[in-house]
Amino acid sequence: MTGNGNGTAELAVSNSMSRKAGRFVKNNFVVIAFVFLLIFSSVASPAFLTVANITTVLLQNSIYAICAIGMLLIVITGGIDLSVGSYVCVCVCFTAGFIQDGMGIMAIVVVTLLSIFFGCISGALVAYAKVAPFIATLAMTTILKGIAYLYQVGQNRRIDGTFWPKFIQGTVLGIPSPILILLIIYLLALFILNKTKFGRGLYAIGGNPETARLAGINVKLYLVMAYAIGGLLFGIAGMILAGRLSMGTATVGDGYELDAIASVVVGGATLSGGVGSVTKTLIGAFLMGVLMNIMNLMGIASYPQMILKGIIIVGAVLANRND
Amino acid sequence: MSGELAVEMRHITKKFSGVKALEDVSFSVRKGEIHALIGENGAGKSTLMNVLSGKFSYHSYEGQVFVEGQEVKLSTPKDANQHGVVMVHQELALIPELSVAENMFLGNMPLKNGAVQWKAMYDKAGEILKRLSLSMDVKMKVKYLSIGQQQLVEISKAIMLGGKVMVLDEPTAPLTGREIEFLFNILRELKQQGITVIYISHRLEEIFQLTDRVSVMRDGKMIVTRNTEDIKEDELVSFMIGRKMKDFYPRVTTETGKVVLDIKNYSVGHPQYPGKNIVDHVDMSFRSGEIVGISGLLGAGRTELMMAVTGGYKMKGKGTVLLNGKEIYMRSPRHAIKAGIGFVTEDRKGNGLVLGQTICFNTSLASLNHVMKNRILSKKKEESVVDDLIRRLKIKAGNMYYPVSSLSGGNQQKVVFAKWLATSPKVLILDEPTRGVDVGAKYEIYTIMKQLAKEGVAVVMISSDLPEIIGMSDRVYVMCEGKLAGELQKQELSEDNIMKYATGTVGRQGGC
Repeated sequence: MTGNGNGTAELAVSNSMSRKAGRFVKNNFVVIAFVFLLIFSSVASPAFLTVANITTVLLQNSIYAICAIGMLLIVITGGIDLSVGSYVCVCVCFTAGFIQDGMGIMAIVVVTLLSIFFGCISGALVAYAKVAPFIATLAMTTILKGIAYLYQVGQNRRIDGTFWPKFIQGTVLGIPSPILILLIIYLLALFILNKTKFGRGLYAIGGNPETARLAGINVKLYLVMAYAIGGLLFGIAGMILAGRLSMGTATVGDGYELDAIASVVVGGATLSGGVGSVTKTLIGAFLMGVLMNIMNLMGIASYPQMILKGIIIVGAVLANRND
Repeated sequence: MSGELAVEMRHITKKFSGVKALEDVSFSVRKGEIHALIGENGAGKSTLMNVLSGKFSYHSYEGQVFVEGQEVKLSTPKDANQHGVVMVHQELALIPELSVAENMFLGNMPLKNGAVQWKAMYDKAGEILKRLSLSMDVKMKVKYLSIGQQQLVEISKAIMLGGKVMVLDEPTAPLTGREIEFLFNILRELKQQGITVIYISHRLEEIFQLTDRVSVMRDGKMIVTRNTEDIKEDELVSFMIGRKMKDFYPRVTTETGKVVLDIKNYSVGHPQYPGKNIVDHVDMSFRSGEIVGISGLLGAGRTELMMAVTGGYKMKGKGTVLLNGKEIYMRSPRHAIKAGIGFVTEDRKGNGLVLGQTICFNTSLASLNHVMKNRILSKKKEESVVDDLIRRLKIKAGNMYYPVSSLSGGNQQKVVFAKWLATSPKVLILDEPTRGVDVGAKYEIYTIMKQLAKEGVAVVMISSDLPEIIGMSDRVYVMCEGKLAGELQKQELSEDNIMKYATGTVGRQGGC
């Protein structure tokens, strides 16, 4: 009898422990998946765990990761920005064009301001004109793309040898510049979301905008700011891309928004808003990056890669679900 | 009147998840009469009528329903329609973009080989309107009609469906004086034509104007049925209330201080009916250390008044608001919080909490400025503030990082309280503070209110719960249809007194 009682008690303990473990796995699914992927990759290909390869992965994916962090801020409010690719495109064109026109460092300042300005327009449409984020940013997608084509008039603008490609392709303190920029953006986003009233406000707006408003949060202003910061980050991604390409061309950027959304969602955020973590988003972005990398190293062709990528997104979302 | 019964309901008992909403209710309506069904909110009127109109299937309740002497077993509203029972709902269910005739025939359009017989439809619609002596273009889109006219379309639709017994649920709520008069004439006309009308309302004057008999419900039971001419208003009110008050309210004496919030000549436009005021020239003042109740029926404009004053309502108010003797205009809830006014809203799930977030997140949400150090959120400060409030309000939870959605209704409500206490308000407005809260938590919430008043906070409590208003308030304002119907001092408080003002039987603005 006593043995029996002990048995059930043990069972209950192990039950509650396994439930706790289950919750831990669920909450940190993307982290665990990432660790497993890294281990698998190291075993599967000797070329994976080399300084050169890791640096390449980090460099290639820093642009996507920056876009993903921008998207996260907007997704937390319950919104979405479909115009990421167009931001990147128009900013690549402007950066190269302005530098070619001899504006020097002012080119960077102007493109920064422009991308914030574009973000403000999306934000104002969403917050004040009450246009659905999907529609407002869909409109911005074609507007920005149109501006890029108009500005570019079919030619590529080379900026080889100027200060910007030198900076982007170079290193600071031994760290490649894009990776350093990503690191700074990551830390800033971490600070904003966790340590400021604005960050709290974003979560509250995404969770219940009416509660947020009645609790004295300036919902409209915060929404505009979220889209503006998003725009800024997409613009920075574009500027980095211009530096890496050493030229401006209107043919880049397509599909960046989807990669950004995928990273955010794989990182555990929901498109209905109110939840999302910067760290997990960053890991989400690199999870996809590493996956592409190891498949390349293993010689898997690019079409099967696309299929696998889609399966991973669905799998991650299902694993992240709460019920 | 022949005395023949149009409708008879025998021993109806209906439970919602174990709770009795109707208990052994018997109700009968004679053919061709206008029969009033009255009672307080939640007395069971709508539930009873939903049984009659087939909204609740006959499986889901006990008892029998007879229509014209024949027992009927109704599963759907359509079944009820076929037996001649039609419900005209409070919320109009018309489609604005369709014409009068199309709305009347929606779902029953005359067809020939699958094509709509437009002429036949328009002719028949015109005929029905004529029967009601209505001059309305049957091809007019409904969106161009006034609310009163839309209601008449609903009634025409009910006649078109072959309605012999018509149930009207609060039909006059959105109507103006002249429209009400017109509606009454139509109803009298219907009575002449032998149609039976069951009329749900809580406006007593209308009942005396219009109805032949009246039935009163309370707490899910049928209390009494009388000839309208044989009963007096006071009697009706006491039938409606009837409850004994329990000694349930904490006794704490507080000292009343200076006037903190003073509202003068305040009006708010109606969001749906332009030209009508949802709050109409109201004067109120609130003192520190005092608990003031605002009573009134649903739709009296209580919430709208306080929401507009604190900048949270969609319509802007007109009038003067003084805070500590100085004129103030609060453009948004943010400004109200800054001015020291907190607002515990009625609907904690809809706009009181961020349900997906933690207790801590929700508690500090309105007072983030207080938990910052050098403009950066301080976890230490936040946790100490939240921890204090959890203890003070006895919120039962594992720790402050539990999601609020995991708490009981009472504890959730306490979190909303905590959120506003964290802002250290000088005026705290509470809208239905104990709705959906269990008895234990209720008492604790009352204790907190008394304690706040003792600390010098001006507490304003909007409540539909009469015993609560009487038990807690030092003074009560009663509103009726957007107007201030009366102000009652502590010694004048009784359910009869309040109901008289709330139903517009007496009042400084006469019948409101």
